[in-house]
Amino acid sequence: MTLSHFVILSLMLCAVGVYGVLTRRNLIGILLSVEVILNGANLNFAAFAHFRASDPTAGAIFPIFVMAVSACEMAVALAIIISMYRRKKRLDVYSLEELNG
Amino acid sequence: MGDYLFYGLATAVVTFSLLAVSLPNLLHAAISLIAAFFVTAALYIMLQLEFVALAQIMLYIGGIIIFMLIIILLTTGLGVENRLQVPNSSRLAGAAVSATLLFGLLYAISGKQSAVLVKSVQRAAPVTMDDIGLRLLATGKDGFIVPFEIISILLLVALVGAVVIARRENSVSNSHGDGKEERA
Repeated sequence: MTLSHFVILSLMLCAVGVYGVLTRRNLIGILLSVEVILNGANLNFAAFAHFRASDPTAGAIFPIFVMAVSACEMAVALAIIISMYRRKKRLDVYSLEELNG
Repeated sequence: MGDYLFYGLATAVVTFSLLAVSLPNLLHAAISLIAAFFVTAALYIMLQLEFVALAQIMLYIGGIIIFMLIIILLTTGLGVENRLQVPNSSRLAGAAVSATLLFGLLYAISGKQSAVLVKSVQRAAPVTMDDIGLRLLATGKDGFIVPFEIISILLLVALVGAVVIARRENSVSNSHGDGKEERA
């Protein structure tokens, strides 16, 4: 269990999340994949705080800020999803194309 | 012992994340994301960061995923409406892009053996909750009081904004109308 193991694990989580963002058709599914990416990033912060930091407390505080920002993002995104569902009655990204230039 | 535990937990978290991004029913996907977050909390405990593990369980599992489950149930009717077919070509393209990203980054970190990764033999002392609480409210050079306050204001603004966005647009005109909204 070294730092390289954790970096490779968080890389795999990031790749899994990118795959989800690119292939999901539902808006909520895309948000769920973004959560997977953020989870990998948090794991990376925690691993560097444990193995490498001269000040591990700061490294432990950073994932908490990431979690709070992610909670904000989730609240606003889910409100947008509810509003869009009321308007269109569907959440399929293939049919929500009127913003293309 | 610790190595085998790490490999088991890492396999579990990658498997549950793969299930979360690929299951066709969104309810099942959200539940497997809960499992992935629990396993991640176990990994944080292996890293001696108990507070982050607790925050992970309380914030992510207790807050964000439950919120997401409620939205899934509100918008899709038990998640059954969500079996949208993804064409195989786009699945292949997504897999190719993410595999390129993964192997490119793996090559980048393993090629030159960067000094940050190699010199990581010493372990930091475990971070206690007292340390985190004191640092979050410290006002000195290495304190975190300013980002702490800013993030609380950001949370308040985001929640008020979410309520404003999700409100029905015709609620004002309905309340002045014939009162059908109140009876319904």
